[in-house]
Amino acid sequence: MAMILEKLPGLTKGLPGGELLLTTSDYFIDLGRKQSMWPMTFGLACCAIEMMASYASRLDFDRMGVIPRASPRQADVMIVAGTVCKKMAEPILEIYHQMPEPRFVISMGSCANCGGPYYDSYSVLKGVDRIVPVDVYIAGCPPRPEALQYAVVKLQEKIAKMSLKKGLATPQQEKGSRDING
Amino acid sequence: MTSEELFSKIQSKFSKVEKAAVQVKDYLTVRIASPAELVPLAQWLKDNSFDMLETVTATDLLGPVDMKGYIRQQNFNPFLPEGATPQIEAVAVAGYAYKPVMDLLYVFFSVTERARVFVKLEIAREGVSVPSLVPLFKSADWQERETFDLLGIRFDGHPNLIKILTPDFTVGHPLRKDYAHIKDRFDE
Repeated sequence: MAMILEKLPGLTKGLPGGELLLTTSDYFIDLGRKQSMWPMTFGLACCAIEMMASYASRLDFDRMGVIPRASPRQADVMIVAGTVCKKMAEPILEIYHQMPEPRFVISMGSCANCGGPYYDSYSVLKGVDRIVPVDVYIAGCPPRPEALQYAVVKLQEKIAKMSLKKGLATPQQEKGSRDING
Repeated sequence: MTSEELFSKIQSKFSKVEKAAVQVKDYLTVRIASPAELVPLAQWLKDNSFDMLETVTATDLLGPVDMKGYIRQQNFNPFLPEGATPQIEAVAVAGYAYKPVMDLLYVFFSVTERARVFVKLEIAREGVSVPSLVPLFKSADWQERETFDLLGIRFDGHPNLIKILTPDFTVGHPLRKDYAHIKDRFDE
């Protein structure tokens, strides 16, 4: 599957004699998709403080095209930052289903990964991957902002391997989520 | 008004009120004997400038906890053989007075006097209810609901005594020492 893009200034200028650029549509779609990961910010606990720090000017998430959205309908990736209570599990699921596909989930911190220090608790979900499929896990309690930005880089690498032929979903999403409602 | 003056004022009106064995910081901490004395004392405090109810909470003094009801693995080391001696065991803390009671705590604050009164009340763990302070203090509403939700203490006369914190599928009152966790759909 390929397409020919005409008059693409900048890129084509350097090509010898060419106003044509031949490439795969997968490359261009993935390029556009991975360079503007808009996250649905899900600040649930102290990991959200680190998440806010990574948006702020010192670490500047914006340079990677990551702009926080307040609405799940405008978001591509959900950053689950913090402890997921059992009472919060259903709102998370609802918001996840409101996001347009393809959608990705970053699980930030020990609590969202596996329950963390609250593993024995009566009220805490033992990992957000019990309700939604997770693409990238970040270890740490809480992880540094650099770790969150590295997770986005890793997610971009993952998106770059996606193909239209295979379908828009990531392998994990194709395989089926561990959705308790589904 | 110092706490001594305040205490003598309270005791002149309510002779059965006595000082608690342990004072909370330098605030006046009193203990009342029965739930029936609570509403008159609260009414008197409200009339005497203590017009803010800061906290309603309680402690379960039963102990030590039986671990069997918890999700907790008593042997968290996966390399130990089956039936090994448990690594986590419930051991009584030396010097701690365990007794099968609920210890209720009410904190009244006076904005004009800048003083606090801590009122403690011990009740039995089962079958005893406490009069609600919602008719006197609106702030008691959610705090009594929370105390009911987590510790299972009933408040007579509360307008809406239902769960406030735990999800609907949680069975029982989690902060009771004899709470046994029933696995829900989020546990494996």
